[in-house]
Amino acid sequence: MISNLGKFFIDVFFHIKGVINLFFANIYWIFIGPFKGKPPKIEHIFYQMVFVGLRSILIVFFITVFTGIVLAMQTAYQLEKMGAVIYVAALVAVSLCRELSPVLTSLVVAGRVGSSIAAEIGTMKVSEQIEALETMAINPVRFLVIPRFLALFFMLPCLTILGNLAGIFGGFLVGVGSLNINPDLYLQTTFKYLKLKDIFTGLTKSFVFALIIALIGCYEGLNTRGGAEGVGRATTRAVVISFILIIFADCIITAIFYFSKM
Amino acid sequence: MAQKNCNDKIAISLRNVSKYFGDKKTIDNISFDVHCGETFVIMGCSGSGKSTLLRIMTGIIKPEEGEVIINGKDIVRCSHQELDEIRKNFGMLFQYSALLDSLTVEENVALPLKEHTKLAPDIIKIIVKMKLSLVGLRGYENYYPSQISGGMRKRVGLARAIALDPDIVFYDEPTSGLDPVVGGVIDKLIKDLSEKLLITSVVVTHDMMSVFEISDRIAMVHKGQLIAIGTPEQIKNSTNPYVQQFINGRPDGPIDFFKEDIGLKEILGL
Ligand SMILES: Nc1ncnc2c1ncn2[C@@H]1O[C@H](COP(=O)(O)OP(=O)(O)O)[C@@H](O)[C@H]1O
Ligand SMILES: [Mg+2]
Repeated sequence: MISNLGKFFIDVFFHIKGVINLFFANIYWIFIGPFKGKPPKIEHIFYQMVFVGLRSILIVFFITVFTGIVLAMQTAYQLEKMGAVIYVAALVAVSLCRELSPVLTSLVVAGRVGSSIAAEIGTMKVSEQIEALETMAINPVRFLVIPRFLALFFMLPCLTILGNLAGIFGGFLVGVGSLNINPDLYLQTTFKYLKLKDIFTGLTKSFVFALIIALIGCYEGLNTRGGAEGVGRATTRAVVISFILIIFADCIITAIFYFSKM
Repeated sequence: MAQKNCNDKIAISLRNVSKYFGDKKTIDNISFDVHCGETFVIMGCSGSGKSTLLRIMTGIIKPEEGEVIINGKDIVRCSHQELDEIRKNFGMLFQYSALLDSLTVEENVALPLKEHTKLAPDIIKIIVKMKLSLVGLRGYENYYPSQISGGMRKRVGLARAIALDPDIVFYDEPTSGLDPVVGGVIDKLIKDLSEKLLITSVVVTHDMMSVFEISDRIAMVHKGQLIAIGTPEQIKNSTNPYVQQFINGRPDGPIDFFKEDIGLKEILGL
């Protein structure tokens, strides 16, 4: 029991070390590599951006629209008692932009993109493709990780902004359609209470979440062992670990913003 | 036929190399030299450590002890950049081809050229066409690896391995899992490459037909140890019982698969 626990912590320690190493390798290939004549391939980055961003638009849109709708109904249920239904607009907008849209979007992308990154790189690992790249003097981090990393880093915040808009739209549907708030008034209230810093804090989160999804997905992929079963395990781990880390990071960042009054 | 062109220059030199996986000594104190321009065959049973030996020579695996000297540099202890520079003179054919699934045949062969040369795309296209016709696969440029047969994949892997006109090509079981005809074609390609392009070849195989067909010198590995090395004649006439059992493929002899299975008799209730 004790020795199992010990093994677990040693395992976790090596994991963290590996992820941090991967992070610094990323930094090297993004900021120093290009000056040594080894820039990442632009077309690979675009390809990944299409996969990460464009192909996630629909699912992010649906999830955040429905969240906006639910949020509006739930807050209306409370606010109606106080006769302050108009504040539904403010509540929906602020809680979406600060919290729900970044987190939900990241969770969706972690499930969709993080898993596929881990599975793809993991399959390459167990079928010797990564080894082949190394023997050809092609660095796997530069060739495989950087495009995915950059694509996520740019596209996740974009998706989050889309999520903000879609969520506010969902709230608007409920507010105007069912609570009979004047559309103009709804929008006015929304933008009166939604501050730029709310959007900014949400986007800060999404940058951190992008980092988490990319690093965990690539790390699990690159460290896959043992055939098809290993690929399955890596994929599951990538999703589970990203989910936990996203929620955890969300908690920390929210606390930082809260206590620094941002 | 050995040392036909570079008058005895040594391409790769292994000195007292040992590699452990956990507590198990997979490579046990192996030393040998591969001469420039020769075809050096490493043979041995499966699990004897042949692939591991190749991985050590390409710098994928670092041995705990010993040195691997290529171009005067010890690749076990040199920096990553130096290793990558040396690797640009390598080609490697993997046991299961290891083509990138997401790229077409043409893109696979073009990959090392795109990464390591500044050639224009249309020049690269021409080179790729040349390499593919060398392995008899012109017209398959736009196929994906999943759409072609195992033998064809091996040949694409070979085209990729020689894309940069390397000095040294490593082959990991180039003919295993192929029908005899395709196996013969691959053997002929290996021979042609080393004779016409003066490439140094290191071939891992346990296919006895090809061993004597292509080799200039042969080394035999058993349980991580080098047990014999010499010209094909010397190996054929070796008195070492392991070597004789292996090249004649006899089931009984000093190489005994069942000795390790402790408790087999008990399981069978004998
Ligand atoms: N990455 C690894 N981790 C642990 N053991 C390994 C690893 N690679 C190879 N081995 C072990 O080393 C031995 C030799 O393997 P290998 O070199 O692949 O044999 P061969 O290619 O001659 O069939 C085998 O017993 C194998 O289990
Ligand atoms: Mg092998």
